[in-house]
Amino acid sequence: MAVSPEKAPTTAQSSTVQSPTLKDAVIVGGNRIPFAKAGTKYADASNQEMFTAALEGLVARFGLQGETIGEVVGGSVLKHSRDFNLIRECVLGSSLSPATPAFDLQQACATGLEAFITVSNKIRLGQIDSAIAGGTDTVSDAPIAVSDGLRKALLKASHAKSLGQRVKAFASIRPADFSPATPRTDEPRTGLSMGEHQAITSAKWGISREAQDEIALNSHVNLAAKYDEGFFNDLVTPFKGLAADQNMRADSTAEKLGSLKTVFGNSLSAPATMTAGNSTPLSDGASTVLVSTREWAAQRNLPVLARFVDAQTAAVDFVHGHEGLLMAPAHAVPVLLKRNGLTLDDIDFFEIHEAFASTVLTTLAAWEDEEYCRTELGLDGALGTVDRARLNVAGSSLAAGHPFAATGARIIATAAKLVSQKAAETGKPARALISVCAAGGLGATAIIESAH
Amino acid sequence: MSVLTPANRPSRVVELPSVPGLTALYGKAVLPSPHDIAGAVSSKLPFGKSAVPTVEASTLRLPDVTYLVRGVKGEPSHIVDYQRLLGEPVSDVLPAGYVHVLGFPVAMALMVSAEFPLPVMGMVHLRNSVSVARTIRTGEQLNILAWAQNMTGHAKGTSVELVVEAYADEEVVWRGVSTYLAKGKYLVGRGDESGQIDRAEFSAPLPTGRWQLGGSIGRQYAAVSGDRNPIHMSALTAKAFGFPRAIAHGMYTAARALSEAGRMRPDAYEWTVEFAKPVLLPGKVDVSIRGDAGVGGTGAVTYAGWNGKSGKVHFTGKITPLG
Repeated sequence: MAVSPEKAPTTAQSSTVQSPTLKDAVIVGGNRIPFAKAGTKYADASNQEMFTAALEGLVARFGLQGETIGEVVGGSVLKHSRDFNLIRECVLGSSLSPATPAFDLQQACATGLEAFITVSNKIRLGQIDSAIAGGTDTVSDAPIAVSDGLRKALLKASHAKSLGQRVKAFASIRPADFSPATPRTDEPRTGLSMGEHQAITSAKWGISREAQDEIALNSHVNLAAKYDEGFFNDLVTPFKGLAADQNMRADSTAEKLGSLKTVFGNSLSAPATMTAGNSTPLSDGASTVLVSTREWAAQRNLPVLARFVDAQTAAVDFVHGHEGLLMAPAHAVPVLLKRNGLTLDDIDFFEIHEAFASTVLTTLAAWEDEEYCRTELGLDGALGTVDRARLNVAGSSLAAGHPFAATGARIIATAAKLVSQKAAETGKPARALISVCAAGGLGATAIIESAH
Repeated sequence: MSVLTPANRPSRVVELPSVPGLTALYGKAVLPSPHDIAGAVSSKLPFGKSAVPTVEASTLRLPDVTYLVRGVKGEPSHIVDYQRLLGEPVSDVLPAGYVHVLGFPVAMALMVSAEFPLPVMGMVHLRNSVSVARTIRTGEQLNILAWAQNMTGHAKGTSVELVVEAYADEEVVWRGVSTYLAKGKYLVGRGDESGQIDRAEFSAPLPTGRWQLGGSIGRQYAAVSGDRNPIHMSALTAKAFGFPRAIAHGMYTAARALSEAGRMRPDAYEWTVEFAKPVLLPGKVDVSIRGDAGVGGTGAVTYAGWNGKSGKVHFTGKITPLG
């Protein structure tokens, strides 16, 4: 039943509680550990150890020892069942105040970005005045589960009320039930790996091998250049003998990338184009970003790199081939730009997560395609062209690696520093668009801008 | 009103007290059938039985009888097992493929009866067509009718259709037509391969999925369908019938494609499948399951499965709205 305004129940106050005006959520800085290739430097490190290391680096950098932070939010994609409170456990193992609340969040590869969006929104609403967002993932220390058959038998046995029931439960176990279930990167509903899905999308859009290798080469060259100029000195803390991202190859060349064998799309009728060089490697790592109100940062004499502008998520129907698995950001960005009265030309830095080089290229191609933009995105015409000189200028996941949940905070901290530097150089505001695709046909996007 | 009207069938109805057990039926099927003799008569292949006296031509006809079993329904836990294996939602909706499982033994009983002129063992499932008039719920009691029709000459033997109709009260809610080929048996002369997939013509579309079928999928589907044909159970038992390894049940592949069409399925539809090269187990099958929805679309779903390496087609099919 609808309540008419006249008959609305009255509380102690005669009027409704006033909502607070929105505050700015600003990015103070970030810290991550270098990303390692799976099964190497961090082979024996757990998610908890890696995230704690990234968190402790952030605490040390900004003098947060003993501080009660408003909330710490993060997650991991490949997670042990014992890690149900992973981020809270990391907080308890850190030098932050134990009174710091925390929670786990997961949205596949968009986990880190979603954590940042979540805490930024809370800060904007005035619910908290400071937060740390991030993520961690390890392929090396991934959980291995017992098979469904064994698990169901063990559960039945533990619920049994008599010896007979218990014996019956154990008797149902078959030899095949003892083979372990390892986590898979295949999409549950299609059985295709993410690489195979992207190979199909690449074939649809006719993305060339050369264009993909060029994206990969730029990623390595740009990341290496930023390391050389010291850009990452206050964003990365060495861990377990690793000082820079292990996958980065400063000496990579188009010839070397062009000589690699294709690994995805080999059974399609279209020529295969995707290699280990233009696809992200399996990686281990953790990252964090510190977000707060302007006041909170000012009280502690902390820098302010950028402010959160807005965010948009999207999802696409990929199960029956209507849309590519990793194309959701292509749908989210036009909505995000329009709501904020912006166009692609208003963006100084495009941080498009390189799940695969071709993911970046199919996204750009989609925005340039008039018919696609009209029929799929509901626009009047093409969204526009991304200036390649503004694309992933500090390298991205192809060079840095991609520990799934750790990628979001890596990008946010990098982008925040980029817009801050640009604004300092030009005296004008600078903006970055962040786009992360994720399993399940998901995508998260956000805009940040320089804070002055 | 049902979108299905009862089909023409033999008017003589024999009511069976219950759905026969498939294991016992397979036992009957592997015994040499007296109709092997009939087969030798009209077969051009040297069966080495030419000394056998000529059999009356009347035995070359399909049995003029409809089998009936009343009050058929699945066991709830068995239905859940089926739903889980095929990826159907665990709900009170009885999957169309499960009705095939319910009706198959009745058709099988007809095929192993003395009146049936073709040998059941080694028969190849060429195609299947199921019409669903409306959503059937798990608790519904179904009356199952089964008969054989359209014995036709085929390039490789003789094909025959086994029809199963499921009634809820007086209404036909489900009808399945399964076309089988008795290889090397030329009862009604040689025909062509009309209606078969032109295997040379098939060119693989971009896949929408890939099935990784384990070595045990034949045994798993056998457990939910009751179809324990040895060609599906293990490499060893399949070898006895000339297959290098066990092969997946055709109806498993068709029912899985139907399941994966998910929300694209309307309430009333026709679901067809044509089988080509068998899927050897374990194996990978690239699949395309696409809907023609949207403005001007027919609402039909087209699907196909093929070997990603060789490009050879395993099956193609369609789900078309009815009514």
